[in-house]
Amino acid sequence: MVSFILKRIASGISVLVAISFFTYCLLYFSSANIARNILGEYASQEQVQAKEIALGLHRPLLTRFFEWAGNALHGDFGVSWFTSEPVVSAITTRLPITLTLVIVSIVCIAIVATLLGMAAAVKRGWIDRLVQGAAVVGDAIPDFVLAIVLVSVFAITLKIFPATSSISPDSGADAWAASMTLPVIALLINGIASIAQQIRSAVIKQLERDYVRTLRSRGIPEWEILFKHVLRSAAPAGLTVLSLKFVGMLGGVVIIEQIFALPGMGALAVQSTSMGDIPLVMGVVLYTVIIVIIVNLLVDLINGWLNPKVRVS
Amino acid sequence: MKFGPKSSALAVLAAAAIALTACGGGTSASGGGGGAAATTLTLASLQDLKTFDPTDAHIGHRMPIYQAVYDSLIRRAPDGKLVPMLATEWSYNKDNTVLTLKLRTDVTFSDGAKFDAAAAKANLDHFKAAKGTDAYQAASMKSVDVVDPSTIAITLNSPDPAFSYYLTQALGLQASPKAIGTDGIKTVPDGSGPYVYDAKSSVKGSQYVFTKRSGYWDKDLQKFDKVTIKYLVDLTARTNALVSGQVDAALLDPKSGKQAEGAGMVPHKSQVDWQGILLYDRDGKINPALANVKVRQAMNYAFDRKTILAQQYLNEGTVTDQVFGPESGAYVPELDNTYPYDPAKAKALLAEAGYPKGFTLKIPTVASYDPINAVFKQQLSDVGITLQTESIPDANYVSDMAAGKYAAATFNLYQGEPWVAINQMVSTTALYNPFKNEDPELTAMIKAVQNGGANSAELAKKVNENVTKNAWFVPMFRLNQMYFSNKKIDVQPELQQAVPSIYNYAPAK
Amino acid sequence: MSVPVELVGQSGTVVRSNVIKKILKNPLGLSAVVVLLFMVVLAVLANVLTSFDPNFANIGKTLASGDAVNLLGTDSVGRDVWSRLVFGARTTLLSALLCAAVAIAIGLPSGLVAGYYGGKFDGVSNWLVNVLMSLPGIIVLLTVRAALGPSVWLSMVAFGILMAPGYFRLTRTAVQSVRNELYVDAARVAGLSDTAIMSRHIFSVVRAPIIIQTAVICGVAIAIQSGLEFLGLGDPSVATWGVMLNEGFKNIYLSPLLLVWPALAIGLTIGALVLLANAIRDALEDAEKIKAPKRGGNTAQASLATVRRRPDRTFSAVVEAGTEHHLVKVSHLGVGYPQADGSIKKVVDDVSFHVDRGEVLGIVGESGSGKSQTAFSILGLLPDAARIVGGSIQFDGKYTVAPTDDRVSQTRLSEYRGKRISYIPQEPMSNLDPAFTIGYQLVTPMMRVLKISKSEATKRALKLLDDVGIRFPEKTFEAYPHEVSGGMAQRVLIAGAISCEPDLIIADEPTTALDVTVQADVLDLVRDLQKRLGVGVILVTHNFGVVADLCDRVAVMQNGRLVEDGDVRDILRNPKDPYTQKLLSSMLEDKEPMTMLVSAGMPAAQAAARNDERDEKEMAR
Repeated sequence: MVSFILKRIASGISVLVAISFFTYCLLYFSSANIARNILGEYASQEQVQAKEIALGLHRPLLTRFFEWAGNALHGDFGVSWFTSEPVVSAITTRLPITLTLVIVSIVCIAIVATLLGMAAAVKRGWIDRLVQGAAVVGDAIPDFVLAIVLVSVFAITLKIFPATSSISPDSGADAWAASMTLPVIALLINGIASIAQQIRSAVIKQLERDYVRTLRSRGIPEWEILFKHVLRSAAPAGLTVLSLKFVGMLGGVVIIEQIFALPGMGALAVQSTSMGDIPLVMGVVLYTVIIVIIVNLLVDLINGWLNPKVRVS
Repeated sequence: MKFGPKSSALAVLAAAAIALTACGGGTSASGGGGGAAATTLTLASLQDLKTFDPTDAHIGHRMPIYQAVYDSLIRRAPDGKLVPMLATEWSYNKDNTVLTLKLRTDVTFSDGAKFDAAAAKANLDHFKAAKGTDAYQAASMKSVDVVDPSTIAITLNSPDPAFSYYLTQALGLQASPKAIGTDGIKTVPDGSGPYVYDAKSSVKGSQYVFTKRSGYWDKDLQKFDKVTIKYLVDLTARTNALVSGQVDAALLDPKSGKQAEGAGMVPHKSQVDWQGILLYDRDGKINPALANVKVRQAMNYAFDRKTILAQQYLNEGTVTDQVFGPESGAYVPELDNTYPYDPAKAKALLAEAGYPKGFTLKIPTVASYDPINAVFKQQLSDVGITLQTESIPDANYVSDMAAGKYAAATFNLYQGEPWVAINQMVSTTALYNPFKNEDPELTAMIKAVQNGGANSAELAKKVNENVTKNAWFVPMFRLNQMYFSNKKIDVQPELQQAVPSIYNYAPAK
Repeated sequence: MSVPVELVGQSGTVVRSNVIKKILKNPLGLSAVVVLLFMVVLAVLANVLTSFDPNFANIGKTLASGDAVNLLGTDSVGRDVWSRLVFGARTTLLSALLCAAVAIAIGLPSGLVAGYYGGKFDGVSNWLVNVLMSLPGIIVLLTVRAALGPSVWLSMVAFGILMAPGYFRLTRTAVQSVRNELYVDAARVAGLSDTAIMSRHIFSVVRAPIIIQTAVICGVAIAIQSGLEFLGLGDPSVATWGVMLNEGFKNIYLSPLLLVWPALAIGLTIGALVLLANAIRDALEDAEKIKAPKRGGNTAQASLATVRRRPDRTFSAVVEAGTEHHLVKVSHLGVGYPQADGSIKKVVDDVSFHVDRGEVLGIVGESGSGKSQTAFSILGLLPDAARIVGGSIQFDGKYTVAPTDDRVSQTRLSEYRGKRISYIPQEPMSNLDPAFTIGYQLVTPMMRVLKISKSEATKRALKLLDDVGIRFPEKTFEAYPHEVSGGMAQRVLIAGAISCEPDLIIADEPTTALDVTVQADVLDLVRDLQKRLGVGVILVTHNFGVVADLCDRVAVMQNGRLVEDGDVRDILRNPKDPYTQKLLSSMLEDKEPMTMLVSAGMPAAQAAARNDERDEKEMAR
């Protein structure tokens, strides 16, 4: 087990390094004129050159990357080139909002989609058709289109929810709930049906397994078979789909954050990439990838816990 | 019996729905305000600040953020008059090259340091050295001398009619001498302003929260307990925030203004900017066609300004052929008839200039200019000119223009005092004259304005006529700034300023 | 779109000509095809369908509603919405296809090579897939835009690279599953080059999943592209649906319809792509499956419905007098499956027998003779689609299937199942839940059925394990199913079957999946227990040897019908039906070599496999 975790962590780190380098290269080619953009139009040519040297822009790509990586290893992600805000604090003030949004959505999706998916698999009939139909509709309507509709109906017309976020670091739970509700719903509707459909097929696959028949023959109540045995065996498939959804959401939430003016990672990502604020972009990418790797590791661990065969080997 | 999770699934859904509505209900009730006078002010800003360092301050949209924490030496009243702030009085010597300011002696900075002549000198010197965003404001400043602890004398290289105005803007902002030039001031400001920055409640790039400073020297400028400025770049988000009561005031545009008016918001319209195409490459360095004055004039004839104003801005503005505003003193009413809509004449001029088949012009574009550039593109193509738009990041727009990357560009420019305007777009040191075009006749006119003293506005009319006739620009309209506020607060719009200064807001009576 | 007609091998998914037919027959599939065709026609004929250049702006007519000139009105700049919509279809569809093409171009060949050769290439490409799948997509696209400019095509190429892992995984898995198939081996032996094998045999296997995946990817690409453009990160000089959406959102208060058209186009297209993918998948998967038709279908079923109906829970009809003493009595049982065309395929027809307490009945027949279906009817474990089309079943003097029931009442059977009727399955491994320990799977039924405490149930379980001849009960109790051998697992299942002291045990080929040496042990065990506990046993098997060993009476089934039944000695000595004779003779012929061939050292799986092969041969004769 320990060696499994270590192996996964090692592979995670190698992925992290590769992605850092890849992003750094991309940014390297988009970082022309940065010193001028940072200093503004009135700075003299000498100032611009001095800034370029101060930022190390004149040095070759590899030197710059290794210096950045070396500092990052010591936990020093530098400061934003434009705002001088430390990268770590820029990210940590925004990460909670994005993570709350994504995690709340994923948890809601997991619960509702599991129940719907199981109902569709077991009962078939109308609920099955409903889930299948909803999955198509959910897939067809991009979440940001839904978000626009939600804003115009529930925030502008009915004034039930705020149209833009009122979240600040010191705001209370009510402000969070109010600001998060519409974005979460926009993310939910898109996710629930399609995940429910995946869970439905995983459950159907399990229901066809021989051991389910044997369990029934032993007089085990149907609910226990469903929720203890079938769900457990269908869970790895569901978890994998959910983890993919999570990764997708982490990126896709940018648009949702923009619509609701949520001060999350999305706006930071858009601004920093368009300006070429390398330390900030690298910070955003690194944090995102680390989260993705942790989630994948967690999913692997849970799958291992659910499936004793994996656990042992 | 086969157990179906149908019932439990429905139960969970129902419970979730109840929980969600409950959350929503709770906040909408608490957000309701009420009858009492407002103690908080929330503004929407369409620009974010770079850092809190005063050398990064910039006229226009970002100033209110700086004004909350930094006092300026002189204050500009809503009608444009200059009134005492940290300087109680000021006067020029005879040849307008030395400005002497008397300073307050009862002011401290938020870190406890005392404001005095040395502090003021330190700020001005630092501003000049740092060459920040608005460095041009210190361009004419030669030296600053401490006369006595409460007096400074600023020596100018040459007369600068706008200098005292600059002291109300970025140049005049006073930060604690201990903080000047440090990295700390970039993220946490240290000034003498009416409010102090609440870093804990703020999120860089999203919202800035300020609380009333105790012991501030002028209680009349501290009208709220708490001021929040939210950075909302998206127009629809700004409109939504204003209409749903999340911000008290915001700058919109004519189209979204309709929605705000419908929702009972109070409009405050004023004309600040002119919009049009700046033809930079008048020497034809990267686009030879623009060197020909007939080509530039042809472009001016190509636009049906009235129709564009009506369709794109719902007539919120005035069409114009000149770049100086009516309040500036350099305005010449007759000039507005220089270039009526006449595509035939435009084609004829192009043919005369040797471009009967037109030519191609590349301009940069950003999301906010996409629609109007599409209109410009159409009108130019009607006379044979191909307008190519190149999407670039917002952040690079000004610096790319200033670096001379494009022969022309669509822009909104502030219509200020003649001397300010000349140094913004006409003189060889002007930012928006990237190719440093000059012409002896024009240079003489500019010189005259500089030394004109009280007569300088009148002399600026010559400059105006010159650049209009020579078609340095394609001015289109002076647009109404559509500033809206709700009824909880009173707002005094400020002359020639995109958004009101922070001092112009008060709780509604 | 054309799906080539070809028939290939046993494994993987095969595209058949009738797949297209199936898709078009499916109303959702048909509408998806129609919508997509419509969009394609728009894109291809954009020039013909509108006289406006998509970027031509009538600056005097902005935000106009539709009229004879501008069908759908104009946008905020005065551009014709209809023209932008159709030209937008062209750009949007082409860019989605480009994205899919890039993803295929990278994912497919690398998946083929990785799956076929494995080794280092496989390792490296899997690692790369991990990298790509951990990349935050939007941020990559933002960076690409910042570095290379705002081109729709460039961003779709980049997105295609990000989507490549989908194709890679799919191809790799499919190739791995067929790589060692016989026909691929045969091709290799025949001297075909690897390239030829890959393109000819393996490619045809992954073709269908790739079409499905492509439909899905195109949908995702359209969504992502319009999302980026909605953020204002597109190329405003090119008309696409996303750019239109952005424009519509800006003017949402003045002209909401501007938002509706592109949103509708995007929704319809992505929806159609998803539906098409589903339709292809259904057409491939359900090709062999029998769908349960909707209620009130046609005459065949209607007539069934008049005779038989859903059992009600409180039914307590009295069984025929004089038969109460039988433990189980099956009378004229018929079981059938409704077909797609409305007819009912009978798998059990007019079967009658009975079992008394302490008696062992063997039901013999080859695969598909209906013997297992008969057994499952008694247990009430028929698939959902199955219907009782005739006869009745009574257990201990009460109907479990009354003469009017059209299916087995779960409510009635749940009183018996596990408590009085128990089941020993054929395949020991697949009948234990791999996620739970053996102990748990023994203890829980006892707690539920006998209502005893966990500790008591544990004690009983250990004793049972000892009873069925397991040498270290504690160790096995703690073990997971995959940690024990097949024979052990079958003993565990037998222990489970007797754990709640049933009156009737139904054993479905309890020894078929086992090593021959183990078979004998297990049969001994069953005989032993039967004698000791005095229970009735129904033994379903195809093996007369087993019958001869264990049974008191035997029933022979063929094609769903009972051909002969009676005392086991009578039938063994004097089979009347020719089919019985044939079965019997084939068994006797193979009897000797069967025991001789199996050496002590042979691994269980191998022996079992050989055993299965022989069984098939027996059947063929």
